[in-house]
Amino acid sequence: MARYGMVMDMRTCVGCQACMAACSTENQTPFWSEKFRTHVEDKEVGTFPDVRRVQLPRLCMHCENTPCLSACPTGATHMDKNGIVLVNNDRCIGCYACCIACPYDARYAYEREDVEKEHELYGKDVSHETPHVDKCTFCVQRLKEKLEPACVATCPTHTRIFGDLDDRQSEVHKLAASGKAQALNQGLGTSPKVFYIPS
Amino acid sequence: MTFVHQEVWHWQIATYLFLGGLGGATFAIGAVLHLFEGCDRKMLSIAVMSSIAFLVVGTVFLLADMLQPLKAIYALTNPRSWIFWGVVFINFYFIAAIAYIIPLLDEWPLFQPIVQKIPAPIIGLLERFNKLVALGGSAAGFLVAIYTGLLISAAPAINFWNTPALPLLFVISGFSTGAAFLLLLSMLSSNPAAPVISAKLEQLDAMLIVTELIILGAYFNFAMFLPTGARASAEFLFHSPVFIVGFFVAGLIVPLAIETWGIFFGGHSQENKPKLPMLLASSLVLLGGYLLRIYVLKAGMFQYPW
Ligand code: SF4
Ligand code: SF4
Repeated sequence: MARYGMVMDMRTCVGCQACMAACSTENQTPFWSEKFRTHVEDKEVGTFPDVRRVQLPRLCMHCENTPCLSACPTGATHMDKNGIVLVNNDRCIGCYACCIACPYDARYAYEREDVEKEHELYGKDVSHETPHVDKCTFCVQRLKEKLEPACVATCPTHTRIFGDLDDRQSEVHKLAASGKAQALNQGLGTSPKVFYIPS
Repeated sequence: MTFVHQEVWHWQIATYLFLGGLGGATFAIGAVLHLFEGCDRKMLSIAVMSSIAFLVVGTVFLLADMLQPLKAIYALTNPRSWIFWGVVFINFYFIAAIAYIIPLLDEWPLFQPIVQKIPAPIIGLLERFNKLVALGGSAAGFLVAIYTGLLISAAPAINFWNTPALPLLFVISGFSTGAAFLLLLSMLSSNPAAPVISAKLEQLDAMLIVTELIILGAYFNFAMFLPTGARASAEFLFHSPVFIVGFFVAGLIVPLAIETWGIFFGGHSQENKPKLPMLLASSLVLLGGYLLRIYVLKAGMFQYPW
């Protein structure tokens, strides 16, 4: 049993969006409708003349106190034994209560047209059989094969550091505990498992 | 920090929230009137039948907005979710409303053959416990009306919704639309007792509108207080002419003025009161209630930390 989490080192992100492409291919997310499980926010911070660009990669925070899970009437949204928040696609009725409850814009609708397009592109080898609400899974299917999530494996600048937050030897634990990394919107009490080292 | 308008729930859900509040409150007020004011069986049966229809149509809108409406039964899985409770309350409501209305249906020749098919002991039982069912039904109606607000207040990052003032606003507005709908029915009724009921409903609706105005004042005061998404939402509403003119002026102030005039200056004899202003007032309250839900949904903004 692990407690998977991620640290984003914003000092190194260059906004290449390779993570978005890797995730989209791995998880067959509907890039054709511009829907992704992970995004890179390109932000301007500061006021003139002291202005700079900041890249903020984001995805599901796999919150410990999970508003989406509380809002989901069907139990489709659940947390597995490794702390990963997942959606059981067959059980999801697409009521969107979770999308309203999520404070991190981590969810989107995999609509009927998206399922049709997916079948057109991937043939029989599809991972989304029915319309449902979709989100990041930390690539559970890859974790089972002892591989890192696709975005982490692809990131050329080592911005995304993934691992077991409870493993004291892991880089992710050390960074999360270092005090340098912070969770987003901590005031909401969601206890995210994704942390950010500011640039 | 960015504020982004929610693009998840639109007019379909607003319709569901409106019809849920209206249907729940219509039954609740109708049943209370029955308990305390006696029973005009014809009017009550129309009121309860319409309230059932409101909730059926509302539920159809909710289902139509889902990705997988045929699996909706799964919604009875997680009691931590407000939708779970919504399903429970609405079903409780349907059972109470149907049990309540069956004995009243013999007023209508059209339904008499159906009523006659129901075994006499069951009808006798329903007749005997009619008042008890009215009590249970009014509780169910209240729960359905307040649930519509609780549902959307469960959004931690939408500050404008995430407040206990919202369920309160929705329940009061729901009851005001319910009273307005019943007023509309009783104005059109030819029953000799109808003018007395109309006068009561007129007073009730005016009181509810005043309460709604107080809650709105508190709600917007809270929203404007902190530089959060709630302020951005409130500012959005202040700059929406349809919200200001359609909901606030036409849906609250004008009906309140008409009803106050009706209560104080409309003449002592209820029978001779002109009907048109009251019909207008109740229709405006209904329109205002619908606009309120549409605009509260439109104004919902996520406050994202990036
Ligand atoms: S980020 Fe959103 S989707 Fe992910 S666990 Fe938290 S509330 Fe749920
Ligand atoms: S859309 Fe699906 S996952 Fe989200 S709350 Fe509804 S049933 Fe649960």
